[in-house]
Amino acid sequence: MVNNIKESPLYRIINPRSIAFFGASNRFSSMGTNQLNSLKSLGFEGSIYPIHPREKKVLDLVAYQRVQDLPEIPDLAVMVLPTEVVPQVMEECGQKGIRHAIVVSGGFKEVGGSGAELEKRLLAVADRYGIRFLGPNCLGVANPHHKFNMTFLPFEGQAGFIGLASQSGSLITQMFGYLRRFGLGFSAGISVGNEARVDIVECMQYLAACPHTRVIGLYVETIRRGRAFIETARAIVPHKPVVAFYAGGSEAGKRAGFSHTGALAGPDALYDGVFRQSGVIRANSITELFDFCWALGACPRPGGKRIIVQTHSGGPGAAAADACSRSGLELPSILVPTRQQLAPLVPHTGSVSNPVDLTFAKNPLDYFAAIPDILLGAENADGLLIYFLAPSQSIRRTMQDMGVSDDQIPQLTEKLFTDQSRALTDLIEKHQKPLIGFTFQEYNDLFVRTLLEHGIVVLPAPQRAARAMAALVRYQQLSEKIHSKQ
Amino acid sequence: MMIESMDLIKTALDKRQRALSEYTSKQLLRAYGIPVTQETLVQNFTDAVSAADAIGYPVVLKACSPELMHKTEAACIALGIRDESELREAYQRIVTAIDLDLEGVLVQEMIAGQREVVLGLSRDPQFGPCVMFGLGGIMTEIINDTVFRVAPFDRIEALDMLSELRSSAILDDFRGQAAADSETICTALMALGQIGLDHGAVAEIDINPMIIDPAGRVVAVDALVVLGGEQNGQ
Repeated sequence: MVNNIKESPLYRIINPRSIAFFGASNRFSSMGTNQLNSLKSLGFEGSIYPIHPREKKVLDLVAYQRVQDLPEIPDLAVMVLPTEVVPQVMEECGQKGIRHAIVVSGGFKEVGGSGAELEKRLLAVADRYGIRFLGPNCLGVANPHHKFNMTFLPFEGQAGFIGLASQSGSLITQMFGYLRRFGLGFSAGISVGNEARVDIVECMQYLAACPHTRVIGLYVETIRRGRAFIETARAIVPHKPVVAFYAGGSEAGKRAGFSHTGALAGPDALYDGVFRQSGVIRANSITELFDFCWALGACPRPGGKRIIVQTHSGGPGAAAADACSRSGLELPSILVPTRQQLAPLVPHTGSVSNPVDLTFAKNPLDYFAAIPDILLGAENADGLLIYFLAPSQSIRRTMQDMGVSDDQIPQLTEKLFTDQSRALTDLIEKHQKPLIGFTFQEYNDLFVRTLLEHGIVVLPAPQRAARAMAALVRYQQLSEKIHSKQ
Repeated sequence: MMIESMDLIKTALDKRQRALSEYTSKQLLRAYGIPVTQETLVQNFTDAVSAADAIGYPVVLKACSPELMHKTEAACIALGIRDESELREAYQRIVTAIDLDLEGVLVQEMIAGQREVVLGLSRDPQFGPCVMFGLGGIMTEIINDTVFRVAPFDRIEALDMLSELRSSAILDDFRGQAAADSETICTALMALGQIGLDHGAVAEIDINPMIIDPAGRVVAVDALVVLGGEQNGQ
């Protein structure tokens, strides 16, 4: 295991201070140019040295004809080059003294034949100089905490707490906007490509030691070092959750045949077992991968699986309750002391069972403070799912009806939302139990945005909130199982 | 245990067998602490009678040969033999029907029980020896309820396999029958993984079925060890 992040072979690949960049030009359609553009646009603070045989400047950066000409030994070489020249360029980098690289170029082992031969040559060169490299055939790294993004899409959004190691490059670059929608971001996103010298296991070790990473996400098509994966994951999981989406189709899986009990065994069932044994939470879709990462990175750990649903609308609350049972969560009944506490706050139309359906609260602010305080405080509750509906439009109308002047309304609305969000975060802090919201509101609605800014998990459907809560429970169970060594 | 099991496998490999016979397969499993049926391999009817007397009726008779990997043909097997005359009839039928070099005929205790599970070992190119646990019985292939672990794993992980089975309730008290001996099932699952780690030449193991009797006792009733894994072993 890597205890200090700087011991990881990935450290300078993910946190370079200076970069030699091969394959960018002033031709704006080329992939390399796009990648250099991404690097510049996030405001990388180290030195960037484009290497180009003819250009004096590339994207306004001084270009060098050969890597030997560079004024220093850069931490990292990035190669977006035609396949055939990569081994030679790796050789030159080695001679210069560069010890880390990202090989974006494809056309190696993944295409077979001469590509596989070329990859062997590349490995021989890299090994001779002790160069650790990511790829080939990868999209590279995005580390927004280091203002480092050399993938071909510009980074958007903010740095966050999700560390993703992916066998699909698109899952890194194309998720920037998706995560931003929820106020989320990567702590680091690593596209592993062919995993020739750095594989997903080493990425897990790096992310386990990475202080910005609160949860590790994996996009897996095949696990190349099976036993190492299991042992590494089991060492990490008690300290940091790991979530994986397995896309199947692995060579390993296809070949895993049990000829006699044969018809029974599928690669998918094998991976189910591998993840469970590893303590890794398996997500069933990409959406779920990020839902789970969000909840695990943002919520306190539940002590058990007894969940209360708070709503003021019947359907969404019932749907959440239903999804809870389907996800293996329990819906405890509301105990007498809790009922007594709630009684003064709940109108006669409300229902104090589970879901707690308030229809409306006597005082609207109670919904965000007094009521969840009581429910989270209940001794038989391990977590709370809460339905959010507060469209800015209707708040505005209410304020108008109350005679608030138009110019005061935006400010008051903002304050109201901020107060409500803060009340909820205070309660999570106080009770140390998970609270997950769900809503059908748009994510650009001011209320939802304010909740997200305060770090509250709000998912766009009741079943997604319930599944995310179940993932929290699952994490507790898995880490306890691993912890309880004999 | 290692020595004994090495010998079993080496002998079979020397004879270029693709598998161990049921009898030898079970000797290997027994050496690793997996409970198997009480049984005797006999070469003639007289010995079959003594074996059946020692075991106690009812017994099962099975043709035993490493070539006999699928004992589906009714001719290879006679269940629920109640006395010596039935034994005689079954013995004659089996030895005349089977057109193979037999290692012998297996006289086996008859395990009564309606609950069946299957246990297995296979090799995955990435994960190495993998252990399977699943629901057995005639509905096995329809219900398709199996779980896997990569060897080695501890008892906690083995217990987790049991609870991961969708039909895990079959291991609990069931219609007046006692809960299955989960501890022994766990031991068997871990042992299968250990065999995979110890013996590279073992490609697969199939325990189908392991019967859970009304008292909860578990016994491997049929077993097959397929050779041809990593030939050099470890």
